Amino acid sequence: MALPLPPGLTPPEIAFLCEMELVTVIPRQRLEGLELLGGPLKPLNPPQRSNIPLWLALLLKRQRRANILPPPWLNTHSLTAILDHETEHADTFSPPPRLPSQPSDNTLPISPPFLPTSTADAAPDALPYHWLELGEMLLEAAADDFEEPDQVRKLLRGLREVRMAKLRSGVEVLDAAGGIKMNGVGGMEVGEGRSFITGVVDGLRKIGASREQQRKDRDAEEAENGYSGTAGDYDDDEMDMQ
Amino acid sequence: MASEQRLRSRQAHAPGATYLAYTPNGKKLITAGVDNYCRVFTTGSDDEPITVDDCQENNAAVVAGNGFFITGSEDGTVSKYSLEGNKFEEILVRTTLPVRDVALSPDGNWIAVASDELSVNVVSTKDMTKVRTLRDQPRAVKHVSFDKKGEHLAVSCTDGNIYIYSLDEDEPEMVKKVDGMIKSLETESESSSKVLWHPDGRAFATPTALRDVQVMSTNDWARQRVFKTGHTADITAAAWSPNGALLATTSNDLNLKLWDTKTQKLLKTFDDVKATILAMVWHPSENILSYTNNEGELFIHTDFVPGEHLPLLNRSTVSAPFFHDPSEGRAGLASAPQANGTTRELPGRPRQRDGTPDSLDDLLGPDFRDDEARDDGDEDMEDFVVDDDGAGYAQAVNGHGKRTNGHLNSVEPSAKKRATASALFRPQIHEPFQPGSTPWRGNRRLLCCSLTGNVETVSQEGRHHTVTVNFYDQHTFRNFHFTDIFLYDKACLNENGTLFACQSNSAGDGNPAMIYYRPHETWTTRTDWRTNLPTGESVTAIALSDSYICVTTSTNYVRIYSLFGLPIRVYRQKSSPAVTCAAWRDYILTIGNGPIQSDLSTQLLYTIENVKHDTIYQDSDILALPPNTTLDSVFFSASGDPYIYDSSGVLLTLLNWRTNGQARWVPMLDTKCLLRLATGGKEESYWPVGVAFDSAGVSKFHCMIIKGREKYPSAPVPHLSEFSFQIPLSSASDRKKTIASLENEELSDDEESTGKKGENKQQEHEQSFILSSTLHAQLSSTLTHTRPSLSQKQDLTNLEVAIDRALLQLLGLECLAGEDHGMKALEIVSLMRDANGKMLDLAGKVASRYGRDVLGEKIRELAEKRAAGGDDEDEDEYA
Repeated sequence: MALPLPPGLTPPEIAFLCEMELVTVIPRQRLEGLELLGGPLKPLNPPQRSNIPLWLALLLKRQRRANILPPPWLNTHSLTAILDHETEHADTFSPPPRLPSQPSDNTLPISPPFLPTSTADAAPDALPYHWLELGEMLLEAAADDFEEPDQVRKLLRGLREVRMAKLRSGVEVLDAAGGIKMNGVGGMEVGEGRSFITGVVDGLRKIGASREQQRKDRDAEEAENGYSGTAGDYDDDEMDMQ
Repeated sequence: MASEQRLRSRQAHAPGATYLAYTPNGKKLITAGVDNYCRVFTTGSDDEPITVDDCQENNAAVVAGNGFFITGSEDGTVSKYSLEGNKFEEILVRTTLPVRDVALSPDGNWIAVASDELSVNVVSTKDMTKVRTLRDQPRAVKHVSFDKKGEHLAVSCTDGNIYIYSLDEDEPEMVKKVDGMIKSLETESESSSKVLWHPDGRAFATPTALRDVQVMSTNDWARQRVFKTGHTADITAAAWSPNGALLATTSNDLNLKLWDTKTQKLLKTFDDVKATILAMVWHPSENILSYTNNEGELFIHTDFVPGEHLPLLNRSTVSAPFFHDPSEGRAGLASAPQANGTTRELPGRPRQRDGTPDSLDDLLGPDFRDDEARDDGDEDMEDFVVDDDGAGYAQAVNGHGKRTNGHLNSVEPSAKKRATASALFRPQIHEPFQPGSTPWRGNRRLLCCSLTGNVETVSQEGRHHTVTVNFYDQHTFRNFHFTDIFLYDKACLNENGTLFACQSNSAGDGNPAMIYYRPHETWTTRTDWRTNLPTGESVTAIALSDSYICVTTSTNYVRIYSLFGLPIRVYRQKSSPAVTCAAWRDYILTIGNGPIQSDLSTQLLYTIENVKHDTIYQDSDILALPPNTTLDSVFFSASGDPYIYDSSGVLLTLLNWRTNGQARWVPMLDTKCLLRLATGGKEESYWPVGVAFDSAGVSKFHCMIIKGREKYPSAPVPHLSEFSFQIPLSSASDRKKTIASLENEELSDDEESTGKKGENKQQEHEQSFILSSTLHAQLSSTLTHTRPSLSQKQDLTNLEVAIDRALLQLLGLECLAGEDHGMKALEIVSLMRDANGKMLDLAGKVASRYGRDVLGEKIRELAEKRAAGGDDEDEDEYA
């Protein structure tokens, strides 16, 4: 029997991927440089800020060896602005952070774990791919480093609800040729929406398939009954539809 | 007492809530109550009062100006009456809900109307169409109160918060929401939450939920001293005496209490009150307190202040009860140095600013003050505070040995006085300061901020402080705190230890000034030590390095000690009086006031020396500051280069300072040009802490970002932020624009925007070129005078490569721009350092790639010339 897991990634897996994101910490003690699989880590030297992977930052935070600086998009001011944008534009999601301009030799990484979208100098006006997981994790582990943790929690909750509602309402148009624009949807949202959306698409496909079959049968019948003049065109169209 | 027997009630109105007001000259007293008339009493006459008919009923407030008075009624009208004809003039405001309070601005031009509506209207008394509306409070408003200059309006809202509005601009702006001061009261309640502005204009007081009166300073919104009133019911009215030296409070428990502002001690309790007093006013000049109660009665209490306390009432304006007077400023100095023979006053006793109780000035009263003395000292002082950053700097001492009280004058500084003051020859000496220290804010102050940690002191009840030292690296060091009976007012902190200094007589027993060094860690028992300075000498600044301690004193001595308290050197500073000092390893940087400039401020002079080698690198050289700016901080970077930060927000470093006469100040960062400020709307300042390498080996400026109009960090101490150096070449808004256009350009890829992009890139490369060249000059100057380490040599080469790379990029852009840019392109090539010998080849390749053959030829010629003899190059320039 197959693994009883739904297709796609489970939330813990998405959170695990999110832990690769770089965040800015203010170390509270010295730490020698580390040779990690993801690349060497510079020595930590208080009070200098340093960008380290989230998993390490959470580890140090739990041991009270560092303070995590929340990214600028995770303050109440920016979140309120983004939430306003989300509620005003009912059909689109707020845009993802802009990519830095590409150098000519195509050496710059363009996917989120390798782009510092959650460090202290990230863009304050856009939610990065891992916004929900990162926000939740930081609020859980480092709530004392936020200025207004409760307010941020509330805003994150609001954002999540607005965007999930959009995702669900977008399903309505997911018929055979339909589609919704999912620019700016975060990792956790994709994971959450996946089972539902694929289920809906699959169901719609099944419903559509039987109806299609009926029509095909009827057309074939009609063709046999002697409307052969236009039958060729019909066949072509049907081939396209399939 | 006879005075009390004379006190009799006057039935002014029908039983019910009654309010009163004095005209500014104190001649008339107006009462308003539940019935439909107002009464005008004349001070000093027992005649029947004049009755002004045709009023509204149920008046809730009355205010009086020169020649008119205004009442606010619960039927929602605010009416103006003339005092000349004693008749109704006009209705200024109508509200839909009952009016609760009316306040008149000190100039009599504006009234603020509080009603059960959510907004407060500020209406001109001359032209009722001029209305300004304040809407930031979420609930109905109980009281409104103008400050003494009419610039701020305090709104006591029923949600338990005070909203302070600035009325300077046309559009009123909320500047501060003070929560937790007042009790949340209903608008009909007899209890009061009114904001009482202290007459000195720097503080206000409110009744609190605990039935105390809490004072808050307005420059930093810090809580100051408390009058523990001991009333057993909510306070219903309170009033400062006209000079602020006394406070009267009363409450539902039918007690009327008189307090001394200076000591917050109870002077007298009047328990003969028959009904709850709802409003209370002091006569503007005489010893009279008048009050009205909720029975419609008016009491005119003559000789209110008992005879033994009368001098308090008669003196000039008294300072509000601060923990630490804000005018002490950043240096925390109570007065100028002792050298000029004046008496010292101590930070712990800020209210002692008038003379002794029976000094001549006190006996004669404010009218007989020596105006000359005020002219040359006080107004000037006030100018200084206002014109500068508002932080207040140390007090000047006038010839009578008293601290000036210019800032206490409730009247605004008159232009005439200012003119006469500036006509005198009065140089402005730069205030001495300790780098990294802040002025008192409430009872807290930072003594030192460094990249190691910070030192904070908290003044406690009963003349002692608690000093806390916090480290950033909490693993290597352990935070500690101790009780400080010497009242240390200066501190330095580095990896090895903490250095403290206190002023003479700080413990109150005539102790001399002292320095105290406490190492963090020793391998023997504790080796902390204290050294006293000679009597009469006070410390102006201290500095701590890895090997020496430097102390500048009021007698212009520079005293250098080893870390174990051994005096190494004592000499007199050439530029005086001393401003501050800094130290790094063997290097000592001292700064003093030099000659006077054309704007009467002094020019600052600095001296850098090496204590170990006994060499002076720069002697009394000029510390370059633009006009009207002051020095905010001075420190050495982690690599040992001097940096200064001035009040205009520019960070400068000293280049080539090891060669006499070659030193120059180079701006490394202008915080006004930071990109984060480019969008505007953000108001913040930066508190410099240090310059150090980050993990990538790049020098960064470390500072604390101070939000809003504040200048200094306060508890909790903000996180450090880092900024890369950026030599000011273009303003932030320009850069923002080019970046924005660059982003748009990705969407619309047309010709014009690529031109813009080129321009933007050019700026970027120009910045990188000049920054790398400056850092290169800095590092190479260091390396020629010290034994360079391998990594430093590597850094130097890296910087050379960085310069060449920036130039190469610029060359590419010039080649792209066209043939006519050939001259500039060749100039760029000639600037190349050619560290690895390949740069000129590369430049030739760039030229040929863009098809600039003539340029390529010239570059080859240049390369050949250099290859032939590198030394010829310099001579070429002379030729």
